[in-house]
Amino acid sequence: MSRNRKPFRQNKNSTNSRQEEDVVDTPVMAAFREYAKELDDKHDRYERIVKMSRDITIESKRIIFLLHTIETRRNNREKVLEDAEKRLRAVCETNFLLIARELEDLDQNQYLRAFSPGLQEFIEAYSYFEYLKDSSKLSDWDDLQQFLTYNIDKPSSTKENETKEEKSLQEQTVAKKQIVCTIKPVEFILGLADLGGEIMRRCINSLGSGDIDSCFQACRTLQTLYAGYLRIRPVGNREIPRKITTLRQSTLKAENVCYNIKVRGGEAASWDTLDTAGFAMDKIAHDDEDEGFY
Amino acid sequence: MSTFIHQELFLKFQQHLDNELELKEKIRAIVREIEQNSKEAAIHLQVIHSNIEKVPQACLEARKCFDKCREGYKQLAELIPPKQYYKYCDQWLYNTHRVVFLIGLTIYLEAGFLVSRETVAEILGLKVSQSEGFHLDIEDYLMGILQMASELSRFATNAVTLGDYSRPLNISRFVSDLNSGFRLLNLKNDSLRKRFDALKYDVKRIEEVVYDISIRGLAPQVQTQAQADEAEQATDSTAA
Repeated sequence: MSRNRKPFRQNKNSTNSRQEEDVVDTPVMAAFREYAKELDDKHDRYERIVKMSRDITIESKRIIFLLHTIETRRNNREKVLEDAEKRLRAVCETNFLLIARELEDLDQNQYLRAFSPGLQEFIEAYSYFEYLKDSSKLSDWDDLQQFLTYNIDKPSSTKENETKEEKSLQEQTVAKKQIVCTIKPVEFILGLADLGGEIMRRCINSLGSGDIDSCFQACRTLQTLYAGYLRIRPVGNREIPRKITTLRQSTLKAENVCYNIKVRGGEAASWDTLDTAGFAMDKIAHDDEDEGFY
Repeated sequence: MSTFIHQELFLKFQQHLDNELELKEKIRAIVREIEQNSKEAAIHLQVIHSNIEKVPQACLEARKCFDKCREGYKQLAELIPPKQYYKYCDQWLYNTHRVVFLIGLTIYLEAGFLVSRETVAEILGLKVSQSEGFHLDIEDYLMGILQMASELSRFATNAVTLGDYSRPLNISRFVSDLNSGFRLLNLKNDSLRKRFDALKYDVKRIEEVVYDISIRGLAPQVQTQAQADEAEQATDSTAA
């Protein structure tokens, strides 16, 4: 770029005395230098948030993987859940806090695209955690929001002038300041749709380990989840219909598992070994190949 | 277990979507109004390609349209909840680009210099920074300015047709100045970048016009040195 500019500047100097536009020239360049700074600032912030979001995605996927290791036979449920909860909290308290700091005083929608993948993955992980914990009720976006709302001390705010602006905006908070990483309902619904895939995996894994109750439970949950999504009339959102299709497929797979248990379950009275469950698994494992969910 | 996935959640979500939709429809009505006025201004300004004498009149008419656009933006500013600008801005940005372009063109025709972002914002009654409220983003200002460059390349051609040989020289300096300004920006691979990529064709087109008139001695004599520089610049920038 500097290669292009150089000859131009030399040129300008040589004709300085003759061209009256030179008076105009400088303001344009000066203005664009300012614009460049502003654009750079935006791009940098965007990239930083993308990085943070990626960390959240990775950690959330790991937590989901961890949650999949729960097996009745191994009797590890309590320990895994405890571990997962700790890690989920850590994500809220570190990674999301960083994003909230970047978004401080800004329109939460501006950089939404930068962190929406991480946020959705986190929602998926959290709701899967709740599912396994046998929570009586799934948290919605408002419930989750409290995890991503932080009170920070005002002096820790980055710049002097920012603090001043803040004072005029939010007078009710004197010493403390609230910063958030907003969970938009659409993001929540998109993240929750991915829960379907996890529950389907759970259903199949449970079949493998002979935990039939858990298969039926997973299937019923999927059916309710799918029914819920049918209720939504997505307007101007292409993602939601796509997710609903995937959710439907997951539901069908789980239903197929339950069908197999019902029809052939009697042939093997006890399902405690993988060998006896093998015949039912064959069909499902094949269907599962294209999913690659985690 | 079936209570784990509770249907209220989906009802709540649908309610949220419906509310959003309602607001979007209100926005659409206002945006349509602004669009109408900006088109009106565009039509007035088309006169630059056919009748140069009527330009000052056209600028006045266009300014009246901008005033009406400002009314529209004021309504939008009142309608959009604080810190929700980016949720809905897709609905009006396309039109904002056009209005910025038309304002830029008008100011250029009237005064001959590049309109600043602050001036555009002032004409449209918008703020410059996000923290002050309903604002004009830097990207959107630049998009409008790039549109203006395309229109100016057309203007340069038509000015020659209409017998105004000094205008293309002026446009050429103006646009190449603009071009060097844009080169200072680090653009990401986004829509602004794509639009900027088209600027070089506008510059090229204008330079061709300048070349044509200067080689035939049609350009006013006082400007000869300037043209020579221009031509030199042209070779520099195409070589680079």
